[in-house]
Amino acid sequence: MENVIKIRGLTKNYGKNRGVIDVNLDVAKGDVFGFLGPNGAGKSTTIRSMLGFLRFDEGSISILGMDSVRDHEKILRDVGYMPSEAWFYDTMRVSEVIKYAADVRGLDCAQEAAKLCERLKVDTHKKIKELSLGNRKKVSIVCAMQHRPKLFIFDEPTSGLDPLMQRNFFNLIDEYVRDGATCVLSTHVLSEVNRYCRHAAIMRDGRLMMLEDTNIDEDAFLKYYMDEEEM
Amino acid sequence: MRAVFVREIRLNMKQLIIWSLTVGILGLVCILMYDSMQGDMKSMADMFSQMGAFSDAFGMSTLSIATVEGFFATEVGTVHGLGGAMFAAILAIGIISKEEDGHTGEFLLSLPISRRRVVAAKGGCVLVCLAAFSCVCALFYALGFVMLGEDIPFSKLAVFMAMQLLMNIEISAICFFISGVSPKINIGAGLGVALICYVYDLVGRVVPDMKDYLFMGPYSYANASEIFSGADIAVAGVAVGLVITVVAYVSTFVCFDRRDLAS
Repeated sequence: MENVIKIRGLTKNYGKNRGVIDVNLDVAKGDVFGFLGPNGAGKSTTIRSMLGFLRFDEGSISILGMDSVRDHEKILRDVGYMPSEAWFYDTMRVSEVIKYAADVRGLDCAQEAAKLCERLKVDTHKKIKELSLGNRKKVSIVCAMQHRPKLFIFDEPTSGLDPLMQRNFFNLIDEYVRDGATCVLSTHVLSEVNRYCRHAAIMRDGRLMMLEDTNIDEDAFLKYYMDEEEM
Repeated sequence: MRAVFVREIRLNMKQLIIWSLTVGILGLVCILMYDSMQGDMKSMADMFSQMGAFSDAFGMSTLSIATVEGFFATEVGTVHGLGGAMFAAILAIGIISKEEDGHTGEFLLSLPISRRRVVAAKGGCVLVCLAAFSCVCALFYALGFVMLGEDIPFSKLAVFMAMQLLMNIEISAICFFISGVSPKINIGAGLGVALICYVYDLVGRVVPDMKDYLFMGPYSYANASEIFSGADIAVAGVAVGLVITVVAYVSTFVCFDRRDLAS
């Protein structure tokens, strides 16, 4: 099956601090891929390298068959990214942020955005500074989905969302994936991986390890989060 | 790129209006003060013109403040020179770094727009805002001459405003570079750049040994007293200013394109 993401030998150092070491990863088209690991393990570094926020030291990243450095701008046309913090411009209204994201893409996404706002109950008239974290996350989901990308990358998407919105979010993912999209989900929530992901990998100390099965029990899962001395 | 440019203009509109009106109205008030001070001006002008190096520093040895043009050059020249430089510095110092400082960089740079286009859009916004600022201030100053019943010195005013705009662009370019390499908004550093340039020029005009090095500072070619006394344009200063501006802008493109984005 065609690989949407192909990472080979990715290494990124932050001077004295470790980033990621020799990461190899393949994500097939149509997959919902769980990306797990403790805080500081290197998940965000991998994602940020894929999106061109970081310049990596060694290795190569291919996304949708294109080189992540050379074809950076082209790749982002077909990627919907939701960062974990979901920050926007405080003085703008929700509708302005959503339209701004579409305008930069040079697309009219009004119809899809309206559908998403309705499904996620987003109040588009409010100013960003009036929103809670959960509501900012919903705006971020709309911005990541409104252009119907081929690849979704979500960094801890459900933190701050109420259970009903979490379910709506995963229903949306399911619909887009059925239409041919691929999804990478960075999360700490084991139940999300068990229930929604088809494949998963875990990062620990900057190194990536594929999991054989996404149905892992909590004790086995938590072992990855423990320091070697605690085990 | 157009969407980013338009958004930046909108975000900076309030700041542009406040600074344009403040500096423009201050300049207008200064011009109008000439009418009430005209009576005492002759003796003051004689006194000011004989203060040696200080008269040179403020241009009062070459231009009489008893004339409306001389008064404009010494008073409004200082107000506009300082006000414009501070606006240029504050505008440029945060225009790139605010994305990382406000954690919006990930949102912006996850959209299909290259970092170079982002820098170009933001740089374009700075230039447009500075040009608009100069136009609004020039209108206020022209209005001041009209209200005094004096002829507007069109050519000298145009050269003065053009040189001030160039100076503002040079200061903004230095601050733009700082903004491109720093993940934090450094308002203090921006104002520092503007004030250092002003003080450098002031000291350079007072200390005789420094006169030969004045051309390195942006105020050297934008001095109101020299422009209104009909002195030749300081070509060396303009050339240095253009080189600094181009180098600062190119360096911003290169550095911002290569650096890691803070989360």
